Amino acid sequence: MTTELLSYSLIPLLSALAIPFLGRKNRKITEILANVTLLAGLANLAYMIFHPMNRNSGYAVFSFDGLTMSMLFTIYLVAICCVFFASVSGMVKSEKNSFYPLVMISVSAMSSMVLAKDFFTLYIFMEALAVTSFALIASEEGTLGIEGAIKYLLLTFPASALIIIGISLMLLAGGSLRFDIMSQSFSTAHFAALAFITLGFAIKAGLFPFHFWTPDAYQGAPAAVSAYLAGVVTKISGMYALVKICMAVRLFGENAHAISSSLLLAGVITLVFASIAALTQKDMKRMLAFSSISQMGYIAAGAATLNPIGILGAILHIFNHATFKTVLFLNSASIEKSVGTTDMRKMGGLEKNMPFTSWTSIIALFSTAGVPPLSGFWSKLLIIISLWITGFKFAAVVALIFSIVTLAYFMTMQKKVFFGKPKEELKEAKEASPSMLAPAVLMSLIIVFSGIFFPYVFDFLEKTL
Amino acid sequence: MTSTFSMDWLFAAIIFFIGAYCMAVSRNLIKQLIGLEIISKAALIALISAGALSGNTNLAQALIITVILVEAVIVATGLALLVKAYKVNGAIDIKKLNNMRG
Repeated sequence: MTTELLSYSLIPLLSALAIPFLGRKNRKITEILANVTLLAGLANLAYMIFHPMNRNSGYAVFSFDGLTMSMLFTIYLVAICCVFFASVSGMVKSEKNSFYPLVMISVSAMSSMVLAKDFFTLYIFMEALAVTSFALIASEEGTLGIEGAIKYLLLTFPASALIIIGISLMLLAGGSLRFDIMSQSFSTAHFAALAFITLGFAIKAGLFPFHFWTPDAYQGAPAAVSAYLAGVVTKISGMYALVKICMAVRLFGENAHAISSSLLLAGVITLVFASIAALTQKDMKRMLAFSSISQMGYIAAGAATLNPIGILGAILHIFNHATFKTVLFLNSASIEKSVGTTDMRKMGGLEKNMPFTSWTSIIALFSTAGVPPLSGFWSKLLIIISLWITGFKFAAVVALIFSIVTLAYFMTMQKKVFFGKPKEELKEAKEASPSMLAPAVLMSLIIVFSGIFFPYVFDFLEKTL
Repeated sequence: MTSTFSMDWLFAAIIFFIGAYCMAVSRNLIKQLIGLEIISKAALIALISAGALSGNTNLAQALIITVILVEAVIVATGLALLVKAYKVNGAIDIKKLNNMRG
């Protein structure tokens, strides 16, 4: 592991240990401590990223790359938004004091995954992350959360076994599990090992034939948790590792390209299938879950081109996906709080009552669909360009067409929920309180500004990757 | 040496298949968890075999102990979920878990 950045994974862990003891007398302290820990981490990271002295030297003083840095930033950003939303909305029942420690442990596990330099460390922290996710999904009373958590457990645990088999094949082939040493020699055993590991992480990421657990887990989870899961948790536990594997495979030459080609095929099928499935959904959270799966397809396809542009586009899309999907899920949580349901057939005309929620949703969905100049447009453009120049022209055209389908299903959602005549029983619906809106507005501002000032973002990542 | 290799991995593959079969055919959640355990035992056998063959026994031992630890945590969480499912649904039948469709 990268020891210079170890504090980003240790401090949330210490905070998770401290919260149950300090919060025994006063519940307010748990919320404050959780928020302060994450905010301090985020401020620290932002200072390191944007400080001119570090920028000018091209981050030469540190031994990590821009991928680690931007992923850490994404983790802390989404975590602070979800924790802040949970603490001000009062939708999390913190009587048992279990929510905040679990979130802290999962932030710690994700940071450690990002800092890992070999497959086994990656595996250990992926499992730690999975355990906290099961507990978070099932944290609410009721049958849906339990169902989501059990499906998540039963369908993703075989993936861990596949990853272990892959690791043992790698041990057999070269004796080293590090990302950088692994790529010096290449044999058939390496190929089989990478195939097993890729399959395992594809299940964890929810790519096409293995996506069954994803919508159930997101729909069953409590509101703030599903934003957190969809925003970072499943992206880091599956997609980050796939991007990392693609960066390693890139160095191997022609023999290993069968793995990346099949990953690309899975990605394209995922984005087609999940977009079509999203068109028919009745429940808002379930539609957002399918939309999230289809964005995973874009990321996998982009990373599997093995082109620097494609990998850059994939990383940017992980960041952008975290921002816009968090906004959409948090908005669905606000709606659930004021209307009492997430069924889209029972809504309509909420724009008059909830203008801020409506506008942040519009910004987020335009970014998802890739409308310029929002940030989602640029990352999708990079992915499609890299598909085109590496010769997968058909895949590029499919990706382009299905970004229009994305716009179609999101406009249907927006029309059903916010536009049209207000329904009689919804006249009383109230806009969420300003502090509940703050995370969504912050994320929307990030979407707009990172879209408009995209050349600077591109410059930052290109210099450091 | 090669004959041991093929025997080990054949054995691991058979155990993996038994676990997968157990998960595929049973409706009881406890049997599903047992299937998961059997699958992970196959993975452990693969790891032991790889460590012995590559002469890297120390590393393999360390890895195996860690994996056993992780497995125990996961199965404990699974059992906790099972107890909660029994409290909510009154049954541990996997067919009862179909409230979300689409």
